Amino acid sequence: MIQLTDVHKSYTKDHETIKGVSFEVHEGEIFGLLGPNGAGKTTLMQMIATLMKPTSGSILIDGLSADKNLLDIHRKIGFLTNEIKLDPMSTPNVLFDFFAKLYDIPKEELRDRRDESFARFGISPFANKRINELSTGMKQKISIAISLIHKPPVIIFDEPTNGLDILTSKQVTDYLKELRNQGHAIILSTHIFSVAEELCDDIAVLIDGSIVAQGSVEQLIAQAQVNTFEEAFFKIYVENHKE
Amino acid sequence: MSAKRGIKTIIGNFFRKRGQSGAEASSASFIISLLFVAVFFAVCISWMLYKFPYHLFSDEVYNIVVVNAPESFVRFNEDTQYFRDEEAREYGERYDILGNYENIINYTYRYDGNGITKFVYKETDALYDFVTFGKWMRENGAYLTVVFPSDFDQQIADRQNGLTSDKPQILTYYRTNSLEYSAMKEGFIDEYLYFYQASIRSDYGMAITMVSDSEIIDKPIQTVENANGIRAIVETLSRTFIPILLFVILLYSSMSIGTNVIAGQKERGTFTGILLTPQPRYAIVTGYLGGVVIKTMIPAFFVATLSALLVGRYTIDSYLAIYLYVLVLEIFIASVTILISVINDSVISAQTAFLPIFLTLVAVCVTCIQSVSEREDFYMYLPVHGQFYGIGDVLVGKTNVAGLIVSSLATLLLSAVIVFITERLLHSERYTVSVDTVDAKEVKRRREGGRPSAWEMINKGYDHLNFIINEAFYPLVVLSVYQMLALIPVVVSYMRKAEYSSFIRDLANVSTVSDIIDKTFDVFSIFFKDPLFLSLMAVGYALILVTYFIHAGRVWKIKGIKNKITACGYPLSSVKHILVHYGLGLILGFIMMTCTVGIMRFTGQITFTGFSLQLSSIGVFIFNLLMWFPQGASEELMFRGFMITSFSKRFKPAVGIIVSSLMFSLFHSLNKGYTPLASVNLALIALLFALIYVLTGDIWMTSAMHTAWNLTQGNIYGLQVSGNGAANSIITAIYDKDATSLITGGAFGPEGGLATTAVTLAGLVIVTVLLVIKSKKKKSV
Repeated sequence: MIQLTDVHKSYTKDHETIKGVSFEVHEGEIFGLLGPNGAGKTTLMQMIATLMKPTSGSILIDGLSADKNLLDIHRKIGFLTNEIKLDPMSTPNVLFDFFAKLYDIPKEELRDRRDESFARFGISPFANKRINELSTGMKQKISIAISLIHKPPVIIFDEPTNGLDILTSKQVTDYLKELRNQGHAIILSTHIFSVAEELCDDIAVLIDGSIVAQGSVEQLIAQAQVNTFEEAFFKIYVENHKE
Repeated sequence: MSAKRGIKTIIGNFFRKRGQSGAEASSASFIISLLFVAVFFAVCISWMLYKFPYHLFSDEVYNIVVVNAPESFVRFNEDTQYFRDEEAREYGERYDILGNYENIINYTYRYDGNGITKFVYKETDALYDFVTFGKWMRENGAYLTVVFPSDFDQQIADRQNGLTSDKPQILTYYRTNSLEYSAMKEGFIDEYLYFYQASIRSDYGMAITMVSDSEIIDKPIQTVENANGIRAIVETLSRTFIPILLFVILLYSSMSIGTNVIAGQKERGTFTGILLTPQPRYAIVTGYLGGVVIKTMIPAFFVATLSALLVGRYTIDSYLAIYLYVLVLEIFIASVTILISVINDSVISAQTAFLPIFLTLVAVCVTCIQSVSEREDFYMYLPVHGQFYGIGDVLVGKTNVAGLIVSSLATLLLSAVIVFITERLLHSERYTVSVDTVDAKEVKRRREGGRPSAWEMINKGYDHLNFIINEAFYPLVVLSVYQMLALIPVVVSYMRKAEYSSFIRDLANVSTVSDIIDKTFDVFSIFFKDPLFLSLMAVGYALILVTYFIHAGRVWKIKGIKNKITACGYPLSSVKHILVHYGLGLILGFIMMTCTVGIMRFTGQITFTGFSLQLSSIGVFIFNLLMWFPQGASEELMFRGFMITSFSKRFKPAVGIIVSSLMFSLFHSLNKGYTPLASVNLALIALLFALIYVLTGDIWMTSAMHTAWNLTQGNIYGLQVSGNGAANSIITAIYDKDATSLITGGAFGPEGGLATTAVTLAGLVIVTVLLVIKSKKKKSV
């Protein structure tokens, strides 16, 4: 579903933020991008979500490239990141309708989808409240509901559990598992080990713009010859981080 | 299909209720703006009623004011009185016959100049004082003023006797608020004045021909064009106030809404979400454009409708025309706002960027207001100009359909280009990816110790340039404002004097810019003898000082008036220090100028012819002396105390000294008789003063030197001060026949000559030596 081949990105001439990244994510799979702050996770996610263009290399979503089929890709991806915010003066109902129309969801279907999605996250009681009156967790749930409004086969979630309490966090991870089982291809960036450990089928460790290790949790632990996933990550980090 | 729905959705989002407080705020501001409009109109109308009351009441006037009527003209009027009475009687009779319409119309246009005209005789030397003429016409129910030179008969006699071939000029001023007056004036000139001239010729026993012996010059007195009474008010409202009000409403609402959408959404982080939807970029741009247009449309259409009703337009087509003009203008302004909104990342930066455009468009409006009466046709077809004039035309009931169509198409085309550019920009990461990322990359790059990017260098350079322009030209702006204010009353009183007539006549012959400057400075030399001007200038200079103290306090963030004055180079702590420095400065300034004059005297350039101060002009002399004190102080404050300090805070002190010296020189470059040598001299003098400032640490001494220099130059030795004509002086000095202006400075005065160069250089050497000694002392301590 998602296919990256030797992707490079540089903001300035003499410095590369992403230094040749390649990987694939398939249907029914959760792919985790793990790395410290500043490793390039957000840049990579934004490139996959077509917000930025790679300097070289190719990114294909379901075989489509953003150069030619930008809008088709938009129909296929759902992107969640902290940098996309909800209009604080709006209400969940209004926002949902607004985006539903922009995604060209038929009028007849709109109401059903909203009810279903709001019920699932318990948004319904807050549907007519202003966003700025809602809690962080509720905002995140609404963001998730809106980013998946068009039922995209590819889901790109940048730090979806950041700043959430354990309960909400669990709701989100459960939902992601469910989506995987429904056959969505999911790419997830995080720096929380437990989330990565619990959810991801395949994990890439991104340090200074390169993938330095890749595999399942067990494979990574074995590779590093340690006992826990956390130790594995630290070892990989120390071995690969320069400066 | 999907794009259409997207556009509709985005537009619809503009009108969605987004919470209670938002709705309340907008209706409150709407009511306030309505009240504002109502008050605005009320003030305008009452002002016009106050200002032009005669339009409303006594506009059918037939009399003629005759200024400096020559005897021959008075005699001619008396001789023709019988016929005019006869015609007036006849006019009255015909006027009673209601059936004879055609005749009446014919009659009024052709003969009322003769028929019921009374002549009102006035005397004045000021042949161009149209302010007074207008007053006389209002007071006497006259539509025309005929101005003879006071020696008209003598000039005619001279011409008939072959002493001169010049024709004396007869000036006519007429009211323009009704087209009728222009026709009546033509009739009067062609018939009455023609017969008058013929009678003069017959007095001299010459054949009556079409040859005229005097030259008649028409001067319309602009009141309000082609309308009378309430129509004049309507016309002014329609052509100026209403269009500018509509422009301001559109600009303001468009700015506040337009910058809030994309730039505001970027700031709040909600824009990326919209970019990720499967809507093409053009749909997004069009949606926002449509939203801004429709939302601004509401107040604009409301005001347009109200205005059209107010000025009495009741036909459908005029409403269609005005709506079209407003709509097209709105689309244009909205597209500019959207473009700016896309380029910027926050509401504040977008509004800042929009401000110059706002001001430019308002400035275009102002130029339109000024040239409504003499506009060229092609302006009707341009964007912005076309809408401004077009709205005015529609409101006065003269819709120009071709202008409407062409200007609308041109404006829409321009808007389309802007929308296209905006759409392209939305494909670029620079304008779509959220601010954080860009910042993060900047921080990262700095942490890596990279060199500043080209963009940063440009920004920094631009910043410096901005600063230099602001600081270096600030004096020019301040001075011109106060000088202008001081000049207004003086010029008004000058217009009533006879000299003004000759000044205007001379101006007709000038051909180059330097001629105009020369002429203007001639007038200034007259002003320099006017106590009113001198005292106003003194007040003006004092106000400059105050302005600078406040400005410095603001720019340098200094509180307390004493601290502000001190920061500008006038330390107030020790009275003794002030007196010593100021007194020393006065003496030094006197010595320097005396040395300069001495050099000119001993090189045989100049001769003293004696004492010239007369008791009668002692008052003006004292005024003149007093003016030099604030004058010297204000220039020192502008160029030394403020400018050097200001530059030194940002760059090295040397930069401040050099820039201020150059600016000081440039500042005087428009003065009469300016030469390259004068510019060098002025820069050197400025440099000398700057170094003295560095030496003494304040500008008390240089202020006194500046004052003493000018005072000695102008009022003691009676020479030109930077091109300004000397007024009353103690000593009269005349230049020798073979004086060379290289040494004397010619029309610019001594400051333009080598004598000054020599004295200034000597001063510079002395001050430099003193500076070196001081710095050595400091080191040894």
